[in-house]
Amino acid sequence: MTIRSLGICSALAFGTAFALLGVAETDPGPRKTTEATWGQPLPGLSSADLAAFSEGFAKFREVVSVSGTEPGAPGVGLGPRFNLNSCAGCHAQPTVGGTSPRENPQVALAKAYGAENSIPSFIKADGPVRVVRFSRGGSAGPGGGRGNQPPPPPGRGGRGPGGPLAGLLSTAPPGAPAVGGRPDGGVHDLFVIAGRKDANGCEIRQPDFAGAVAQRNAFFRIPTPLYGAGLIEAISEASIMNNLRADQPLKQSLGIGGRENRNQNDGTITRFGWKAQDKSLVTFAAEAMNVEEGVTNDLFPHEREDTPGCAINATPEDRGGAAIMAEFMRYLAPPVPAQATAATERGKQTFASIGCATCHTPNLRTGKSNVVAMNEKWVPLYSDLALHDMGPGLDDFISQGEANGRDWRTAPLWGLGQRLFFLHDGRTSDLAQAIREHGTAGSEAYRTTAKFEALSSEQKQDLLSFLRSL
Amino acid sequence: MVLHTQAKRILALAMLAAGQMIWAQTDPGPRNGPPSAGNPLPGLTAGELAYFNEGLARFREVDSVKGTQPGATGVGLGPRFNLNSCAGCHAQPAIGGSSPALVSKQSSQVNPQIAMATNFGATNTIPAFIQPNGPVRVVRFIKNADGTPDGGVHDLFTISGRSDAVGCRITQPDFATAVAQQNAIFRTPTATFGAGLIEMIQDATIVANLAANAAQKKQLGITGFVNRNGNDGTITRFGWKAQNKSLLMFAGEAYNVEQGVTNDLFPNERDETAGCVFNGIAEDHFDTTATSPEAAFSDITGQAAFMRMLAPPQPAPPPQGPQGQSVNNGSQVFAQIGCALCHTPTLQTGLSQSAALSNKPVQLFSDLAVHNMGSGLADGITQGLATGNYFRSAPLWGLGQKVFLLHDGRTTDLVQAIQQHSSAGSEANGTVQGFNGLPPQAKQDLLNFLRSL
Repeated sequence: MTIRSLGICSALAFGTAFALLGVAETDPGPRKTTEATWGQPLPGLSSADLAAFSEGFAKFREVVSVSGTEPGAPGVGLGPRFNLNSCAGCHAQPTVGGTSPRENPQVALAKAYGAENSIPSFIKADGPVRVVRFSRGGSAGPGGGRGNQPPPPPGRGGRGPGGPLAGLLSTAPPGAPAVGGRPDGGVHDLFVIAGRKDANGCEIRQPDFAGAVAQRNAFFRIPTPLYGAGLIEAISEASIMNNLRADQPLKQSLGIGGRENRNQNDGTITRFGWKAQDKSLVTFAAEAMNVEEGVTNDLFPHEREDTPGCAINATPEDRGGAAIMAEFMRYLAPPVPAQATAATERGKQTFASIGCATCHTPNLRTGKSNVVAMNEKWVPLYSDLALHDMGPGLDDFISQGEANGRDWRTAPLWGLGQRLFFLHDGRTSDLAQAIREHGTAGSEAYRTTAKFEALSSEQKQDLLSFLRSL
Repeated sequence: MVLHTQAKRILALAMLAAGQMIWAQTDPGPRNGPPSAGNPLPGLTAGELAYFNEGLARFREVDSVKGTQPGATGVGLGPRFNLNSCAGCHAQPAIGGSSPALVSKQSSQVNPQIAMATNFGATNTIPAFIQPNGPVRVVRFIKNADGTPDGGVHDLFTISGRSDAVGCRITQPDFATAVAQQNAIFRTPTATFGAGLIEMIQDATIVANLAANAAQKKQLGITGFVNRNGNDGTITRFGWKAQNKSLLMFAGEAYNVEQGVTNDLFPNERDETAGCVFNGIAEDHFDTTATSPEAAFSDITGQAAFMRMLAPPQPAPPPQGPQGQSVNNGSQVFAQIGCALCHTPTLQTGLSQSAALSNKPVQLFSDLAVHNMGSGLADGITQGLATGNYFRSAPLWGLGQKVFLLHDGRTTDLVQAIQQHSSAGSEANGTVQGFNGLPPQAKQDLLNFLRSL
């Protein structure tokens, strides 16, 4: 019995190894194109809008220090906790406005200007820029003591940091955090300003990332690229909802559902961020300023940490900057795809025929916009901007808005040809692996991923070539 | 025997009547005199004052669908809306305040939602809960038709029928049914006086205040917690459930939700029915062609600047003689029976970029936390961490000239408003019990104090 079981296992292992060695298709990798074609403003902008784009570009590149006194970092408001000191530092590949660069700038920043931060194990010089969220342990959120806590949510609430995870530990799925406490979900910045020359007297410490990792309580995200973000913002809700309702027989046969995430304030569809949690580019910019850099602003005027000695500047540290940066993102042109070839055309057909295009919708349409360049345009984003259950393999045990742990926004695939790191946490640089990660049991992409596995190696290779042409 | 019983009854009734006449405490009602608020903060720079004035203009701007209605040159009303300007709802006792009122002693106004229903050719019916002498109200539904939680605002009116909305044919929600099914809850406008000071109170100050006086709070059954923003984890503080993060967020939300004007923060229409969307989004946006900073303001930036620089309400000058003594006594009673534990008299701002907001005491009479207010006030709606029973301690500054009380404006009687704090589960039950046990004069002193704010 034992021997026989072992035999089967060996056969399986051998078979898998054979498949990998013998007929493995390979990710062509990021393509080499002239960078001048990326990072440009949308065609057809007015001169005033172009000027706003340029102003926003400068603001997006601004490097901040605590009080603006560090050479080369004249922006004000870094910290007390932060992940980096500029927007452009993280949104860098292949140009400013993109995603995580090849060389991780977080490594150097740990010790910049006298800081004494240690570098957590999950931050590597050749790895992706990452931010960390803790799934649970809300009482130790940003700033430590958070005062009284709300009562546990009654039953299965869907909103805010929390509800659905109540009682999780008793029926914990594999990979669930091995830690109690309330739902957290917030970003815990990597670094503190303590030790920096511009932060005399601040003595806060980094969170215990090693402990959080050991307890499986730390979840990572990488920067989302911002090309074409203004077009995404202008896509009408009708376009998103009609697309979600379309192709029902096909979707049902593939086990694909999907639903939109919505904003609690005005009830409209949210669409930015890995869980489609952010409403608009201004909100996105303002949130990132405070959360990633620690720069308080009009929308988020309060320091996330106001330990005495560390909150050094008057608040808000920035006024108007988020709106200006939003102009840059709004007017940033979409990624420029490569010239189609016979192989990419075949791959494109396969992309549709096995069901990828059902969620990675090739086109959605903007509604009426007061900017001509964004008015009633097709947007080839390869996303439905909706949430889907991506299965236990991609669960981060964090809720944002209507999105629970396993729910993720269909990542727009435009620009994929130049991306270095894949999936929300940048766990792989291999496109084929990224596809396979879609396919754990319970994922809405399970059957489509199985169809991918069943393709011939040539078909797979064409599909990968198509994706790298985007 | 029979007679005897009747006589006893009559005697008892007579005593009750006499008791009420002699001992009933009455709400003195909204104060006379000029508005206690509406001016800019003292100590603003010339630049800040210019922002305030520009912001005031944006706050007063009246919107129509395309800006073509005479007197309503702002663009973007609808497709659904509750009113056509900020100042229309935030009016009492001055622009920036809360619901206007017919009985106002500062500026008597019929509920502007009445005329709005049929304004410029619109064909809306007026729901039963909107009355000429009642408060401005917005409606939220507790549940969707399928029983899932809703919680969102369902605007009273549509642009259908208006001269500037030809071709739009959407209809109003079925409010009568929602009311009959007890699925509709109401909210009145919050006053924005002193809002910039509230915005500049540090999170640490709020948390420390909530932790203070723990023994007394525990004895009275008071706990409370802060509401927090899902984006950055900091304390939210504006709105009836402390659900809104900042004045800019508040302005952006209200512009889209109450008026239907899409903006940089909330750029998508809430109703995109074909034939009802007339303008490109965002209808309000940063003007990249402007030649001065004020002109470049989006409306929501201006509205936020106005609210930020708006001075807090001024309490009544201390009266002389017995009335002054009564107000002073009332202030002490307010603290003694525990009102001040949640309606914290003063919190301090932190270091602000604006000198007028920096390190200032803020006499708001609120802890900015949310508390369980019991089944009687519960609205069944969750916003952020605040579930159905939870409401922010309403700041009491300006109460002296407020007409409609509690989140839904259910009463104009201060005594009634206090009593409504007590119901099953409410953290205020112990304190209301203390209020009920007060000698009549002490109760009256408390009311006089509250109406002095």
